[in-house]
Amino acid sequence: MTMTTALKPSRVPRGLFPVGILLAVMLPLILMPLASIYVFAARSGLEGFINAITSPEAQFALRFSLLIALLTAIINGGLGTYTAYVLSKYRFPGRDALNVIVNLPVAIPTVVVGTSLLLLWGPIGILGQFLVPLGISPMFAPAGVLLAHLFVTFPYMLGAVKPVLDELEVTYEEAAYTIGASQLEAFRFVILPALRGGLFSGALLTFAHSLGEFGATILVSGNLPFRTQTAPLYIFAQFEAGNIEAANAVAAVLATLSFVLFFALMQFNKKSARA
Amino acid sequence: MSIRLTDLTKRYNEQLVVNRVSLEIRDGELFVLLGGSGSGKSTVLRMIAGLTTPDAGKIELNGRDVTYLSPQARGVGFVFQNYSIFRHMTVLENVEFGLRIRKTKSNERRRRAEELLDLVGLAGLGARYPNQLSGGQQQRVALARALAYQPAVLLLDEPFGALDVKIRAQLRVSLKEIQRQLQVTTILVTHDQEEAFELADRIGVMDTGRLIEVGAPETLYYQPDTEFTATFIGGGNVLVGRKEDKWIRLGSAALPLPPEAAHTDDGAPIRILFRPERTILQSEPFQDRAIHVLGQGKVIEQIFAGALQRIVLEMEGLRGVRAVAPRAVYGQSVTRIEVIQTGARAAENSFTLGQKMWVGLRDFHVLDPAGLKVLICVSQDVSGQLAAEMGSLLAHATHGPATLLHVAARPELAAQARDYLETVRRAFAAQLPGLDVRVRVGTSAAQILLEAQEGHYEVIALGQSASGDTGFRGLGSTARQVLEQAEVPVLLTQTKRVGLKQILICTRGGEPGKTDVAFGGRVARRADAAATVLFVQTEQTTPEEQKRAARHLLQAEAALAVQGVRGKIKILDGGIIENIIRQADADDADLIVIGAQAPRGRPRLRWQNFATQLVGAAARPVLVVPMNE
Repeated sequence: MTMTTALKPSRVPRGLFPVGILLAVMLPLILMPLASIYVFAARSGLEGFINAITSPEAQFALRFSLLIALLTAIINGGLGTYTAYVLSKYRFPGRDALNVIVNLPVAIPTVVVGTSLLLLWGPIGILGQFLVPLGISPMFAPAGVLLAHLFVTFPYMLGAVKPVLDELEVTYEEAAYTIGASQLEAFRFVILPALRGGLFSGALLTFAHSLGEFGATILVSGNLPFRTQTAPLYIFAQFEAGNIEAANAVAAVLATLSFVLFFALMQFNKKSARA
Repeated sequence: MSIRLTDLTKRYNEQLVVNRVSLEIRDGELFVLLGGSGSGKSTVLRMIAGLTTPDAGKIELNGRDVTYLSPQARGVGFVFQNYSIFRHMTVLENVEFGLRIRKTKSNERRRRAEELLDLVGLAGLGARYPNQLSGGQQQRVALARALAYQPAVLLLDEPFGALDVKIRAQLRVSLKEIQRQLQVTTILVTHDQEEAFELADRIGVMDTGRLIEVGAPETLYYQPDTEFTATFIGGGNVLVGRKEDKWIRLGSAALPLPPEAAHTDDGAPIRILFRPERTILQSEPFQDRAIHVLGQGKVIEQIFAGALQRIVLEMEGLRGVRAVAPRAVYGQSVTRIEVIQTGARAAENSFTLGQKMWVGLRDFHVLDPAGLKVLICVSQDVSGQLAAEMGSLLAHATHGPATLLHVAARPELAAQARDYLETVRRAFAAQLPGLDVRVRVGTSAAQILLEAQEGHYEVIALGQSASGDTGFRGLGSTARQVLEQAEVPVLLTQTKRVGLKQILICTRGGEPGKTDVAFGGRVARRADAAATVLFVQTEQTTPEEQKRAARHLLQAEAALAVQGVRGKIKILDGGIIENIIRQADADDADLIVIGAQAPRGRPRLRWQNFATQLVGAAARPVLVVPMNE
């Protein structure tokens, strides 16, 4: 690196001015809002902060959020890997269409996802009108929150795993077959280990997105404390009610969690890029 | 017999990649499948391993029919060109993998893996990961991994293709040693002749899906049966002479006829092969009786290539002798040969261009006779008779093998069809002793095209019924479809001829015209017929086209001369069909050769009509040559 810069000094201008502009934009746009969470959290003092996050409602919201994120990561981890395997390995009519469909959730506004789930499972929904009278009502219940999160985060696992699978030569699997491994054994011993990196970063990404999901959750959960209220919903509700301190404390926790996950992911990617 | 393949066939999207390959490989043999890219060699290997399912045929491993078994159930070891060793496993784990799948105890597993690593020369590297190894080492791991579970056969698909020359040589030696030691039956696929020669007990040469020839390396090099092998393996001179009593006549030179070619008819073409390094050059005429004198040649090219020196000579005395190899340049008039001088001689014998040298052969080899391979489509009516007569005439005249084909509409008609073909075959037995008989079931046109493709026929002969009283009513639907889709020339016959002495080649100016001149010339050469090349210019022909056509005709004349065909050229003005018929009548042509303009596109309808008109009007056999090749 240093060699290259030394050889081509003219190509690397000392751009203090452009960097300054960049900082001037980033500051009010990203850095200051983030900082204010912590500033406000600090203002109420440690005791106030602890009180705020240990309130039963806040505790439920945080734990519920973590639980949902964990479940989402596990379920979509499996589902996404399987989808990636099928899409990458098999050739069938409609493959391209399916490829687009499974990636669609990224493009759809989350509020629309919430609406569509309500219109399917809700009391007046296409399936709901028959199921709700039978007592099967996923909407406004924890199951509904999980459904929404599965929908919204589906493409992340796929996006992390499929490129790795695509790059794996066909002969890799064929080698396992000729050696005597069944398709399942080949997947278990040969394919899966090769996917480790993709699986980990995909799961992390899914977890992080699930933790922060708001748009779809607010619609399908009904925002019921002690039942379906996730951390982001709690923050929203507390803000609405004017309890800035309570809202802000949970927001600070959520932000910190996200930072940790994000840095873990970055570290991991750096490591696997080097390997 | 460790491996036995019977009529193995595979198509991808209607393209024949492997075409009726039959092969037997002995226990403990190291067999090399040699062929260019796209020859189907890798597909054969993949079918043996079970990674690709054959469309037809049978695969037996150690007497067990495994044609439709999964790869897991076959117990073969496979080594891929790209190594494909498992990168998250250590070297040892890679080698152990097959045993782990087979639930071998871990200490036994470890012992066996260590043993194999030792065998492939990687002892002590068991704990490493693949990315810590070089390409050559990785391929050694792959070899050890494939051998760990004692496979019935070892299959290697271009195993050294991705390695550099030096490593490749080392690995070859190791492979040969290991194979000898373990006595495991092995098939290796490669495009590298040197590799094939160094490793193989026997070599199988493949081309366009067919197994052309199988034999020991020395046999394939010095005594190949086929022209393909002779020209594909090593450098070689293949010249076409004619039998003359007890001699093979090559222009002014004559070589003694070896006993194995004694049964050939007088005047029939005989192809001889001599390797460039089996020649002697000297400035004085030869005195030694053991050397076959080819004549005096003029040095026209001299290439220094390290230990050896490659020299190209123009042989005035061989003028008119056709050379299959080295390939004649279009328009070249004097036959050329290639000579290699080795070692000290190269240093002391430095030639100047234009220098005259005497060329002698230490030895030469006669190739199996080859003629046009004709597929004669016989139906049980007049047209079938016509096809049979003209087709066998063509096959006989060109010394080619021929097959009688009948397409039965339903399976229950097949036996009857076979009986009928037998009677036809007996009728032609005197003329064509080697006539083959084949019955297929299905739609005529489709089955004819399939057979032509699978059997690698060079001409399809079809009969056209009803001349005479009823008049010509146009081509039948079968003939039309075959004409539209055939990749080889189609012979349409509606009248009988007694011989094949005069051929009329109708050509168009320029590049596409070369195809039908070349093919017509080939027929004429093999049949020993005279040829007229005709170009008809109409009112639409532009002056440039006329000029190009004139040039083309002159080249055509030269090309025919090189092939040893007596030919003349002719340009006529006016209507195309009328002029062709007039010229055909004037020559009393036994065959009219025309090129098909656009066999794959829509405009083919035009020439199809044209061909139809010509067949109807000319009352002579017409050979339609597709121009897409």
